[in-house]
Amino acid sequence: MSDVSPLEMEVAKLIIRTLTLKVDPAQIHPEAPLFGDGLGLDSIDALELSLAISQSYGHQIRSDDPDTVATFASLRSLCQSIEKHRTK
Amino acid sequence: MNSAALLGPYHADRVLAWENGQPMTYGRFLSDVGALADLLPEKPTVINLADDRYRFLVGFAAALVRGQTTLLPPSRAPGALAQIAREYSNSYCLVDGTQHIESLPSYQIPKGTRSPTDSAKVPQIPVDHPAVVAFTSGSTGPPHPHSKTWGSLVAIARSTGARLGLKTSDQMTVVATVPHQHMYGLEASIMLPLQHGMAFHVGRPLFPEDVRLALQNVPSSRMLVTTPLHIRACVTARSPLPPLECMLSATAPLTRSLAKQAETLFHTTVYEVYGFTEAGSLATRRTIDGNSWHVLDGITLHREAAGCSVHAPYLRGPIPFPDLVSLQEPYRFVLHGRGEDLVNIGGHRGSLSDLSQKLNEIEGVQDGVFFLPDDTGTSVTRLIAFVVAPGKGAEHILSALRTVIDPVFLPRPLHLVPCLPRNETGKLTRDALLGLMQDLQKKERHGI
Repeated sequence: MSDVSPLEMEVAKLIIRTLTLKVDPAQIHPEAPLFGDGLGLDSIDALELSLAISQSYGHQIRSDDPDTVATFASLRSLCQSIEKHRTK
Repeated sequence: MNSAALLGPYHADRVLAWENGQPMTYGRFLSDVGALADLLPEKPTVINLADDRYRFLVGFAAALVRGQTTLLPPSRAPGALAQIAREYSNSYCLVDGTQHIESLPSYQIPKGTRSPTDSAKVPQIPVDHPAVVAFTSGSTGPPHPHSKTWGSLVAIARSTGARLGLKTSDQMTVVATVPHQHMYGLEASIMLPLQHGMAFHVGRPLFPEDVRLALQNVPSSRMLVTTPLHIRACVTARSPLPPLECMLSATAPLTRSLAKQAETLFHTTVYEVYGFTEAGSLATRRTIDGNSWHVLDGITLHREAAGCSVHAPYLRGPIPFPDLVSLQEPYRFVLHGRGEDLVNIGGHRGSLSDLSQKLNEIEGVQDGVFFLPDDTGTSVTRLIAFVVAPGKGAEHILSALRTVIDPVFLPRPLHLVPCLPRNETGKLTRDALLGLMQDLQKKERHGI
């Protein structure tokens, strides 16, 4: 997993901690879908995760922002969005 | 036959719906309904999958005009939709996007096909027409249908509006975070505005920032129809919401402290509505005032040998509460939690025995059970499953489950175990399952 950035590893840990998932952070493939078939997350998780992200990085996630339509598509897209909008 | 109008006071140029800051008027709505009603097939039942609240309502109203019944599937999981489609095979599907049901013919809900006329007549719908069928999951077999008459939907909308002090002159706009295919969403975000000359926002905001933008994109005065989950998110995010007349919450109990925080932070009044699928909304409270619920006008409560029941002129007979309640006076009651089998995860109600049965129907599963651990108070408590399935991986079982149950009920985690701690009569007690969970957690901590 050499292609995982430090931020991706940090956010993977945040996801696991926030959603009490039973996976190893290294098992979250950065380009695998977070929802549906991937980690199987749902909209309650998205809401919980958005709060954790706003608290940790000051990024308020919106679902209608054209840039962030794909935010939750994968760990990598989520991290790109955090990188772009973070205030902390 | 008695009938009730499709909508409350009618003014053709009053706004019914807001989409991206663009108004759609009641006049336009009636012409859209008329146009669609002419196109619908001759079938008794319809599954309306429209995501857009306005299009859903156009489809729902056109079906009413044609004397048809809208089915409200218990979830959008493909397996759940397919099951309803099998039970009601002479149905069709109304859609506004790409989701459809394989076995049923689909019709797109158009918008603005005819130009609105000022002289449109408001349709009258017979009060005993079965307007919708909602479903609850029972302990065995397929979901149980509950038919709702048009008269009951209208009566509940009017009594809820009266309780909240809504006046048609207020021209309030509803923004809702809940789906309109759900009884609470249908009652509070469709029927309530429709019967009071109010407007709604067509979308369904999820994140606090979505909620803020949706509220900002509609004129005052505003009402947020939502759940404890979304209220907690908005409070935690300290969203700078625009002026908000009131919030209405349902699907799960709201704590007094969270309601107080929301009232202070957003300078609003937080009401809760209590109901269940079989009876519809039946009581309200202002959460900070205390834990007792005040029943809506027209409803009476009765204590019976087996528990309490709800009576109303629009219900066919007394309906027992699924929750444990104690009556305080004829029109007030206090809730004391749910029966053991019922769970509520993020507003979705399910039955543990029904979920366990679906788990046991999966190929390769020899024994399995769903379990709700104690509430930790921090975030939404999720279900756990213990499964005996030699040679099968957790992923195989999870992907099979995903097709038959609502995703909120997916176990987190799913533990594969060699056997379940059944007692000599074959029963699984809560204590035995709690013990199993603690053993597994201990082993995990020690890296076994």
